[in-house]
Amino acid sequence: MPLFKKTLYSTDFSPLAEVALDYVKKLKEAGEEEVVVVHVVDDLSVELPDGTDLLKEEDVYKILPEVDQEYLINLIEKLNAVKEILEDEGLKVKIYLKYGNIPKQIVSVADEEKVRLIVMGAHGKGLLSEILLGSVSTDVIREAKCPVLIVKRREE
Amino acid sequence: MLFEKVLYPFDMRKASLKVKPYVMKLKEAGCREVHVIYVMVPSEWGLLSREEFDCEEKIEALKGTMDEGFVSGLLKIFRKMKEVATEFEENGVKTRVVLVPGELDETLAWYADKYGIKLIALGVTSESLSFFRVGKILDIIKAVSQPVLIVKTPEEEDGEV
Repeated sequence: MPLFKKTLYSTDFSPLAEVALDYVKKLKEAGEEEVVVVHVVDDLSVELPDGTDLLKEEDVYKILPEVDQEYLINLIEKLNAVKEILEDEGLKVKIYLKYGNIPKQIVSVADEEKVRLIVMGAHGKGLLSEILLGSVSTDVIREAKCPVLIVKRREE
Repeated sequence: MLFEKVLYPFDMRKASLKVKPYVMKLKEAGCREVHVIYVMVPSEWGLLSREEFDCEEKIEALKGTMDEGFVSGLLKIFRKMKEVATEFEENGVKTRVVLVPGELDETLAWYADKYGIKLIALGVTSESLSFFRVGKILDIIKAVSQPVLIVKTPEEEDGEV
């Protein structure tokens, strides 16, 4: 059964997201063939329409201040680095850089790409992050149509 | 070995069965052992001290402290879990079937740490993830340190197994 054939890897480029990446790589042994890597930005100095595709809609960059442009270019480099890592594992990879509500955009890409599983890290230490765990991870779990793998800490 | 030992909470609902094919598939990614667990929550089974009921004899022994109907109910659950475990065994995956009294989140966290579990595979209904009921799932994710695989089932497809 192709249960893990196409997965979505949501990354914020944190150390925990790197741990989640290990799981994405490992799933290749369970039939994973393609990975959709997603990063969502919600902190630009200019408000953009929810769901703006920051890889395809190049015109958007013209209205952004230089600091935002540099920030986004850096994120694209990071996404490409992840892409390379996964391609080296023999996986087909597609990257997305979206603007907007983080859980909403993750689920939207998951639907559009018809992925079988979403893999993401959930920060779970400290009172504030305990509360925040509810916002992104829980919203993704609640709204996603496919299974979700929540990774919490490094495998020892 | 990221998926070596999987904890599979089972609650006699169809939703918890939906996660089974995923766990089975993880065998290809190194899953060697599956622990099928039923948590006897105090609101349904009364207050019992934490113990691992991993054979029918131990459950039968509860007859002295628990209503006989309850014990029969537990035996029914245990046998169903054994049935589920057989499928894993037939696929070369070692299994353990166990009933443990306690609160859901605390018990799963305690058990997962005690047995070196690498992944918790949770079958839930969409309803249990609705805005007002999401707390239970969130409590589990917060309580455990292991990764959690959540497989959802629409409410209309759920029911007792």
